[in-house]
Amino acid sequence: MADSLLKIAGGTIYDPANGVSGQVADLWVSGGRIVAPPTDPEVRPSRVIDASGLVVMPGGIDMHCHIAGPKVNIARKMRPEEKRRDEVIPRTTVTHSGTMGSVPSTFATGYKYAGLGYTTAFDAAIPPLAARHAHEEFDDTPCLDKGFYLLMGNNHYVMRSIQENEPQKLDTFIAWLLSSAKGFAPKLVNPGGVEVWKTRQGGNVHGLDDLVDYFEVTPRQIIAQVAQSAGRLNLPHPVHIHCNNLGMPGNWTTTLETMKALEGHRGHLTHIQFHSYGGGEGDENTFNSKVTELAEYVNTHENITIDVGQVLFGETTSMTGDGPLGYFLSNVYGGKWFSGDTEMESGCGITPIKYKNKSLVHGLQWAIGLEWYLQVEDPWRVVMSTDHPNGGSFLAYPQIVRFLMDRTYRQDVLKTCHPRIRDRSSLADLDREYTLEEIAIITRAGPARILGLKNKGHLGVGADADITIYTPHENKETMFELPRMVFKSGNLIVEQGEMREAPMGRTLHVQPNYDNELEKDIQEWFESYYSIRYRNYPVSESYMHEPEVVPSN
Amino acid sequence: MALSLTYKAATSVPVEIEGLTPDAIRAQPLGDIERFTIFHGNEKLPLAEMFDVSGDASDGRIDMHGDLSGVHWIGAHMQTGEIRVHGNAGRHVGSEMRGGRIDVDGDASDWVGGEMRGGAIHVRGRAGHLIGAAYRGSARGMRGGVILINGDVGNEIGHTMRRGMIAVGGNAGDMTAFNMIAGSVLIFGQCGIRPGAGMRRGTVGLFGNPRTELLPSFRFACRTRPQVLPLMFRRLRAWGFEVPETLDGEQFDLFNGDLVAIGRGEVIRRHASDN
Repeated sequence: MADSLLKIAGGTIYDPANGVSGQVADLWVSGGRIVAPPTDPEVRPSRVIDASGLVVMPGGIDMHCHIAGPKVNIARKMRPEEKRRDEVIPRTTVTHSGTMGSVPSTFATGYKYAGLGYTTAFDAAIPPLAARHAHEEFDDTPCLDKGFYLLMGNNHYVMRSIQENEPQKLDTFIAWLLSSAKGFAPKLVNPGGVEVWKTRQGGNVHGLDDLVDYFEVTPRQIIAQVAQSAGRLNLPHPVHIHCNNLGMPGNWTTTLETMKALEGHRGHLTHIQFHSYGGGEGDENTFNSKVTELAEYVNTHENITIDVGQVLFGETTSMTGDGPLGYFLSNVYGGKWFSGDTEMESGCGITPIKYKNKSLVHGLQWAIGLEWYLQVEDPWRVVMSTDHPNGGSFLAYPQIVRFLMDRTYRQDVLKTCHPRIRDRSSLADLDREYTLEEIAIITRAGPARILGLKNKGHLGVGADADITIYTPHENKETMFELPRMVFKSGNLIVEQGEMREAPMGRTLHVQPNYDNELEKDIQEWFESYYSIRYRNYPVSESYMHEPEVVPSN
Repeated sequence: MALSLTYKAATSVPVEIEGLTPDAIRAQPLGDIERFTIFHGNEKLPLAEMFDVSGDASDGRIDMHGDLSGVHWIGAHMQTGEIRVHGNAGRHVGSEMRGGRIDVDGDASDWVGGEMRGGAIHVRGRAGHLIGAAYRGSARGMRGGVILINGDVGNEIGHTMRRGMIAVGGNAGDMTAFNMIAGSVLIFGQCGIRPGAGMRRGTVGLFGNPRTELLPSFRFACRTRPQVLPLMFRRLRAWGFEVPETLDGEQFDLFNGDLVAIGRGEVIRRHASDN
């Protein structure tokens, strides 16, 4: 099919990266990419899709979700009761069967993302030691181009390099780790705090200047040094940060300090909704929103990007590399709990949770998420996410679109929530409504730019032909939950909710260069402490499906 | 006249008739009932392939004949009506049922009344493991209703049950009322090891002889004749469940536990014992 030529004719195109906002135009696709219209009038497309009256956007990009790796698999096994009650995905001639629940099975995850018009997704927390597992699960997660971030914020070698003030060693290690695990970006989860939790009963750090036992480094140093190192390595997505003190009243100051700790270097603060709380320490009665203060800092500092981590009401499963947080949540909800300790690398906590609209805390969390979308002025620096499945399922994205584009609906839902939310957040006063162009930015063009993906999130010549076509509708939830057509690399994969094809998709990773001499130091450290041999650690190409190296900036 | 279903198949592959309840088929003509989809392993079949169907369903009663020990989910999810199994039944009899009654003249297998909410199940023969239990991963098991088993039962009956009553005329296996949240489990025969392990609230009655050792995390409270027992026995007899006359004048030892959980449960154990 190399010479097949597809024409998507007469669609209303939203391609903010190329300055196209609602213009009617044709798209030409060949070889899985967008191509220039043929100059020779004799050239005829082999297929024409009539998109007149329909909205055409690049495929959606979820830059922060949990869809692979050991934590996701453990959560699946932990919640058979959900899978028993929920929808079953039957096998068809093109798809595998699957199960849903808050953590859908691998194949179902791919189909459901595609069904919403999403064609790229990044898992946000993989322990490097489990990278092979994550790649194997990616191999069973169709319809999406995928990548993952590697947990580094509590890695012993990272902390030791910072303690010994050896930035070259840190650079080498980060580059070596990303290359070995075939990861996409460094991820910091509660930097330093998880290590304290692993060594001390009930331990954690509570501020950016607490010392981590044995390493004598602070979270502030970890954040600053990794951000600087990522800058020196020119990584396409330098550092993805889950701040300390997630979910705790009064944590907004920690978040603000984290932003300052970046010292102007690029950094992405993830699921920032969970990090924007005012109030006394541990005191839920004083819990309130501090989005206005934090958003002001984000608005005036271009080095910072965020994704929201929107909470939606209902049951879900919390999974995090933040071990002490998992323990905290399991005590709040009294359900099952899993805690993990990955050698020199990271921790993990998993527990079922439930967000209730009548709860003041949960209602505020919901409102705070929406406040973030509405208070960051530059849509290029705020990304839609639910931190799937932590705040809610990715299946809620169409509903979030409606919250953002329809303030009446937003206010109606606010009325069903706890009455005191109005006093403790500014949501009731926010009139802003998103335009379709802005939705296209926060779900596609923005994340592509933040991730440094030059071929994604736009419809210019040379872009991957990941295209979603929507039928316009007054109710934006209806519009976004059932795309008319979804194309992945130029192939029609979903048509009005019906799967037509389920290609596996590519694995996106980085391969930064590093100093081979300094690698010997890593090897020596590795062989002294790890449970596996150094040479068995790197993930070989044979574990990957269509790998694609995303070049450094 | 009740609907009569006579099992005519001979297969070692499980047959599942989930959803075939008196309330679901009450208004249906015989032809539709014959086409009701059942599973034979992973294969879908019409009901009439494996059962002779006669009578009519309009009075909300179903009579089932033959050895149905390989037929599962009988009466699962039923809301009202009556099912009588004239023989043995398979697994998951009355699973998640909310009302009505099921009578099994023979034996039933595991998961009788799994997560049931209401109604009554009476098995005249023996039954398997996990009666009235929570399905794997669930936060709660049986949430209401009554399960009576005349014969012996297996392990983990009343696992994580929340409300309702299970009475067993014969012997029970290990881990009876494991993780119980509330409700009552009464065992009139002997009981296996660790009854009430992890129970939070609720009542376990152990009336067999010789008596069962309790876990060390149960604390003796007093010797007593609980007023509630004669009332429960009278009700059980009214339901056609045999309770030995000798129990009426007996003394019982009351224990609190399980102290590794919140310890608000009670075990009422017959005081007299041959050991």
